[in-house]
Amino acid sequence: MPASVDPQRLKLNGDDEVTGVLIGFRCLDCRVKVFGQATFCQSCASSNLEPVEFSDSGILFSYTIIRVPPAGWPGPVPYILGEIALPEGPHVLAEVIGIRESDLNIGMHMELTIQSVKVTGSDQEKAAYKWRPSNTELSEEKANQ
Amino acid sequence: MNQQSNQPVNLPRPGRDVMVVGVGLHPFGRFPNQDLAALASDSVVSALQDAGVRWQDVPVAYFGHVYYHGMSVGETALSKLGLTGIPIINVENACSSGSTAFWQAYWAVSTGMFDIALAFGAEKVPSGPVTVTSAESPDRYIGADHMMGGYALRMRRYMEETGAPATAFAQVAVKARQNGSLNPFAHRKQTYTIEEVLGSRLVADPLTLFQCCPTSEGAAAAIICAKNALSRYNIDQTRAVRIAAACLTSGTYNGRGSDHSAFSPYRTEPAALQAYEMSGLGPEDVNLVQVHDAASIGEMQQLEALRLIPYGEAWQATAEGRTALTGDIPTNTDGGLLAMGHPFGATGIRMIHETVTQLRQEAGPRQVANAKVGLAQCSGAGDVTTVHILTK
Repeated sequence: MPASVDPQRLKLNGDDEVTGVLIGFRCLDCRVKVFGQATFCQSCASSNLEPVEFSDSGILFSYTIIRVPPAGWPGPVPYILGEIALPEGPHVLAEVIGIRESDLNIGMHMELTIQSVKVTGSDQEKAAYKWRPSNTELSEEKANQ
Repeated sequence: MNQQSNQPVNLPRPGRDVMVVGVGLHPFGRFPNQDLAALASDSVVSALQDAGVRWQDVPVAYFGHVYYHGMSVGETALSKLGLTGIPIINVENACSSGSTAFWQAYWAVSTGMFDIALAFGAEKVPSGPVTVTSAESPDRYIGADHMMGGYALRMRRYMEETGAPATAFAQVAVKARQNGSLNPFAHRKQTYTIEEVLGSRLVADPLTLFQCCPTSEGAAAAIICAKNALSRYNIDQTRAVRIAAACLTSGTYNGRGSDHSAFSPYRTEPAALQAYEMSGLGPEDVNLVQVHDAASIGEMQQLEALRLIPYGEAWQATAEGRTALTGDIPTNTDGGLLAMGHPFGATGIRMIHETVTQLRQEAGPRQVANAKVGLAQCSGAGDVTTVHILTK
């Protein structure tokens, strides 16, 4: 079983399918919800926090195609980098898969997917979160063709 | 306690007036036969000569750099000038390292600790995409740590929300190269057309290569002195430039956790508002601007965040030539990061160098008319922003 790429941000469900959920906290004082665990609220510095699990879908806020990858990137080149706005507020950046570049549009519905990626220079794998178009987007695309 | 992100907070209290009395640059480019300390000390010697200040009279030095070149590189660089035993502080604040060193020097003199201070910075940035995190970071596997990728996300969103055409972004690079062609210190002196900028290879769509700053090597230095100590050190008062504001902020939470929005003032605006308050000046008083144009979109968004242009209109101002040397908001007059290149530790002080040179009316073919108030803004990872305002 691969380990979470970042246990502060991705909690794995521990099943054979390697599924998981994005996590963070809700501040009980200022009500803000933040992606990723923390000790104090990033907005008001309160320690009165409770853990939250975020929605597994969001809206494509912006995207780019990385042609020259950063050192250590284990995936294909080029790859699509998407910024997804969660309904709870935070934006989450990750690779977008399962769609051609030319079909991308700001405002598309995206859903979370977990995939194993090779750890550079080792046989180990890590479970990384990515985005893909939601089923509704795909069926709409089919209907348009 | 709750703090709204766009309110000036914790504004430090300046003491006495502080002047920039000397500036120096080592050319920006690639210098395989010179180490970091050699680049740095070269710029310091230039600044000392420009100021007419003896090295023995400098009581403190702040050195900005990011990449590792051994420990205490500031001390190594300055050892070539003579071991005077002064405190030398090495500063790392990402792309704002140089401007942070300058900020520290200002506050050391303004508050009365020292009469004179040296701020300098140097860098030899390796080739290839710039990343913020360490090689072990999860972000390397998530794919989100890519400096130009971040700019590209903002650019795509800005285009979507404002209708800005690709040609307006290319014009930022064209203008930068025109200014750089007039600057013997620039890394890139060749000029390009809009078509050539758009036709250069894609780095992170829609950003093309010529809209991304080169990674570079270089060094910059500034000598500052308390106004009431100028005569004690026989410094030429007529060439001294006053530091009207020196402000430095780091990030506040914007409710999103990432900053790739089209209208993205929250990083820069707090430092800008502090600087306007500290100087008693407003955006309408500024007639010379250096901003952090690591990518074409960066220049537009910084001009908007500094309130020099309303949100969403910088692309039109650029297309209309308002940011050119002859425009009403001359921006990145020495070529900016796009033409000067970007040696992280040097960049912030390079902006001070250009502002001082312009305010002294010594900028030659790229001299801006009636330059009285110059603003220099520098961004760094960690949502670091410095804003300095200089007046003559």
